[in-house]
Amino acid sequence: MRKPVLAFGLAASVALSACVQTQQYADVQFTPPQGDYKLLVLRPDVTVSSLTTGGMDEPRADWTEQARAQIIAALKAQQAGRGGNVTIIEHRNALPGVSEQELADVERLNAVVDQSIVIHKYLGDYLPTKRGKGLDWTLGEDAVRLGQKTGYDYALFLHAEDEVASTGRIALGVLGLAGCIVGFCAPNVGGATQLDYASLVDLKTGEVVWFNVVLASSQVPGIKFGELRTPEGATQMVERLLGRMKPGKYAGHVMTPEPQGTR
Amino acid sequence: MCARCPELTRRSLLVGGGVAAASLTTGVAHSRIRPQDMVPLVGPGFQPTDKDEQGLWHEMQRVEEEVADTNLLVQDPEVTNYLRDLIGKVGGPAARDFRIYLLRIPDFNAMMFPTGFAVVFSGLLLRMRNEAQLAGVIAHESGHFLRRHMIRAWRDERRKTDILAIGSMLAGIGGASAGVYLGDYVQLAQLGTILSLFSYSREMEAEADAIGAKNVAAAGYDPMEMSNIWQQLIGEEDAGARYRRKHRRRGSLFDTHPTSDARMADLKADALEMRIPGKIYDDGRERYLATIGPIRQMLLDDQVKLNDPGASEYLIQTLAQDGWNGLLRFYEGEVWRLRNRRGDDVRAEQSYAAAVVYPDAPAEAWRWHGISLMKAGRAAEAKAAFARYLTMKPDAPDAAWVRQMVG
Repeated sequence: MRKPVLAFGLAASVALSACVQTQQYADVQFTPPQGDYKLLVLRPDVTVSSLTTGGMDEPRADWTEQARAQIIAALKAQQAGRGGNVTIIEHRNALPGVSEQELADVERLNAVVDQSIVIHKYLGDYLPTKRGKGLDWTLGEDAVRLGQKTGYDYALFLHAEDEVASTGRIALGVLGLAGCIVGFCAPNVGGATQLDYASLVDLKTGEVVWFNVVLASSQVPGIKFGELRTPEGATQMVERLLGRMKPGKYAGHVMTPEPQGTR
Repeated sequence: MCARCPELTRRSLLVGGGVAAASLTTGVAHSRIRPQDMVPLVGPGFQPTDKDEQGLWHEMQRVEEEVADTNLLVQDPEVTNYLRDLIGKVGGPAARDFRIYLLRIPDFNAMMFPTGFAVVFSGLLLRMRNEAQLAGVIAHESGHFLRRHMIRAWRDERRKTDILAIGSMLAGIGGASAGVYLGDYVQLAQLGTILSLFSYSREMEAEADAIGAKNVAAAGYDPMEMSNIWQQLIGEEDAGARYRRKHRRRGSLFDTHPTSDARMADLKADALEMRIPGKIYDDGRERYLATIGPIRQMLLDDQVKLNDPGASEYLIQTLAQDGWNGLLRFYEGEVWRLRNRRGDDVRAEQSYAAAVVYPDAPAEAWRWHGISLMKAGRAAEAKAAFARYLTMKPDAPDAAWVRQMVG
């Protein structure tokens, strides 16, 4: 009787072992940029860590740099097929006409806005004041000024955190799998997790018009879903994150103002 | 029958066992680390060579980028140069490699980051009574870098969580094959691991105190001042707690730092070892106060606005042990005024009146003194006080209103 149960459990845990979720949000009026737009891509904020046997994140400088380079290459390749006029900024001082400090300020502001979008739209801490409003966040004047100074239409911000399971972590999973023989089945100790998000800011209004989150994780260490430090992983991530931009709920509709009652 | 006989339940066994394990392997109290045993583990121009440490540094370089131009940064060149010179004096072999940033945060704190940049909160500068005390704190923080504490703590944590993960897995497998449930022991081991991590952290703080005492003494400061800092902090925390009718927090097994009491006692013992008998130490008080003079009003202002009248009052009294002045008297008045209990208005008025007697009374002291004179019906004197306020601060945000009062 025990064997089939075990086999079922094993099958279920392997099926659950790697899953990728993406979730897009857009401003209700958003239409994906098309034709002759000018897009500014800010320095991608990337961290790649090694997942230790005990489950801690050990940041790795070399992997992080590799991943950043791969992501930038993948972005360039992807945007080349789109027709837009794209500039990718690799350092804060590389944008003519804008000081390092100004760009850093916009990046920092965006980082906290993006974090609150992840918390309040994606991770479940919903705000009643934002219900039914699509994506209702803005970077305000700072972003508008950046647009005026540089002439870009949109700014794209990217954030990526990736883990690579260490040999020890994989061994722990293997040990858990071996335990199935004696009835203590625990291969799903938790493998690598990757969290990426991107936000598109309209530099004419300062508003965050589109946002996408990709969360990929495996329960069993060693099962891979695209490491960012590899060209394939980075390409896959860019495709998942930016591949299919969906328009907002009311995009294309002409909003007719409600008739105002007069007395 | 006895109603109070302890019943041996699984929970009591766990708690008891946990505490026993913890006190065996960790213990809140520790033996003192002697300053002369503390040798620096890095030399000048240290760069990491191991992968884990390189990763940590890489992360920290990004943190430093953010710290270096946060809008909390105090940029007064005199104060920042002074801090840099101080860390240059007490920073041991890495003295030339350190960076030090002053942030406007009204709290008693300072910290060192793994790559050798230190952050000092403005609340620390308010509390230090002389250069020797500030040098002591900076020497303590430098000690963390010199003893490579961050990477050692990280490796300790990684090792212990690794062992716990493997151990739990083996306990599960072993237990399953032997047909026993070892979950309770796994939980116990978890608690033991957590407690031992905190204990390791406390041990590093004790090391930093010891190497700090050694380095301040080598730089010619009286190491006893480091112990005095903790005495002042204990007094301040007691005063703050008393006002709220609470007790000051005592140490627990989950603390990252040893208790203030333990640090005070150990540093005292360190100082007695490191002090040169018969030497007369210069505490550098004049130099210190002259340097922070331009920002001292900001420091006091931030403190009294914390709404912690017990601690603020204690702090002002402590600083006044080196002599009252107009600034301290004015902020003493502010503590009363903002507390606003019965009789506090009179206390505040007395402080303002005392403040304006000193030549260094801030403009605001004249303003509030003027208001209290006005209330007392002494209009002519009030006008004189307001006029003084306006000469000192012609661009004050309420200047138009005060001018109207002067008439």
